[in-house]
Amino acid sequence: MPLATTHTSVPVVVDDAKCIADKGCTVCVDVCPLDVLRISDMTKKAYMAYDECWYCMPCETDCPTGAVKVNIPYLLR
Amino acid sequence: MPELFETYDDIDDIGSRLQAADPAERRVAVIDLGNSGDPAAIRYLETLLADPDPGVREQVALALGEFDGPAVAAALAALLIDPEQPVALAASNSMAELKDPASADPILPLVTHADAFVRMSALRALKEVRRRDALKPALDALRDPDASVRVQAIGVIGFLKLEEAIPALTAAATDADRNVRRAAVSALAFSTTKSAADAIARSLADTDWMVREVAAETMGSSKFGRQVADALVQALNDEFWQVRLKAVRSLGKLKVARAIPAIAPSLAHPQANLRKEAAAALGEIADPAARPLLEAVVNDPDPEVRKNARWALGKCTAAGLASSR
Repeated sequence: MPLATTHTSVPVVVDDAKCIADKGCTVCVDVCPLDVLRISDMTKKAYMAYDECWYCMPCETDCPTGAVKVNIPYLLR
Repeated sequence: MPELFETYDDIDDIGSRLQAADPAERRVAVIDLGNSGDPAAIRYLETLLADPDPGVREQVALALGEFDGPAVAAALAALLIDPEQPVALAASNSMAELKDPASADPILPLVTHADAFVRMSALRALKEVRRRDALKPALDALRDPDASVRVQAIGVIGFLKLEEAIPALTAAATDADRNVRRAAVSALAFSTTKSAADAIARSLADTDWMVREVAAETMGSSKFGRQVADALVQALNDEFWQVRLKAVRSLGKLKVARAIPAIAPSLAHPQANLRKEAAAALGEIADPAARPLLEAVVNDPDPEVRKNARWALGKCTAAGLASSR
């Protein structure tokens, strides 16, 4: 699996201001079937660690604060 | 050895985190309570019904959806009238997941609430708990000025499947709102009475094509379908292919062999979905007389049509062989 180089060029983008992973939330990490989301050791916020996504959406829909946004490629919409 | 499955803290430990000053921490504790699946979590969730943070209250409504029973229903009923819309919406959705008949007790009084959203949500929740005493409030709600409430009332009546409700459902099949009419026609499927059959057949001439579509579909699943096959054959001339598709499907399910000539034009319709369903219906009827019609479409440009036509040909051939023995 290719490693994601930056957190903004991947399909799953997390709004750090809304993310409450630093309070113990792991919903998006738990629901991801590909296990590509992680909690950053530095920021304590969720981010996409591996640039693989099925666009299945539970990370976005289940996020309690609406912090996760999945950018679906135009041709898959 | 690492844990193979997710484990949760002791429920009382999670409960103690509900006192955190930070709403985000309370929210995470609420998520953990919901995920615990332990009914002991309900009493902790109840303590947060009046939490000052709407996000926490919304999370409580979502977490309560993991449980069932009258205590959960009472808590959700309190959140359903929350001034914050996301909280009320989450409560409404969680309430619709309740299955325990005892859950109906705190919900029944909400059927006459001043707010239409609350009335609609209460009826939606009563649907799957299938309580006999919900029939009367549901029948009364059929006169509600809000169409969404009337739709959910029909859901309650439809799930109860009581013949005594047929007159109310047949009346609702002529409601001013098309969604109410669609729900009523669909709910009539369980009945075997002539009045229900007539109401569905009348709906095949409804001004709205979506109502006609539901009527055509319902006839295929209802017990009196064969008696109203003529109405279905008429529906094959509907201006909307969606209605024709459901009519074809129902005629197939009911195995109405005399409908074969009327189904034939659908095999040449520009809409591939309709051609496919027509081929499948002929297969279900399984009459050797349909063979020439199916042979004409075995090389249809659409693969689904070809597949169904070949399957149907097999069924017709097998039926022919069986009858010649």
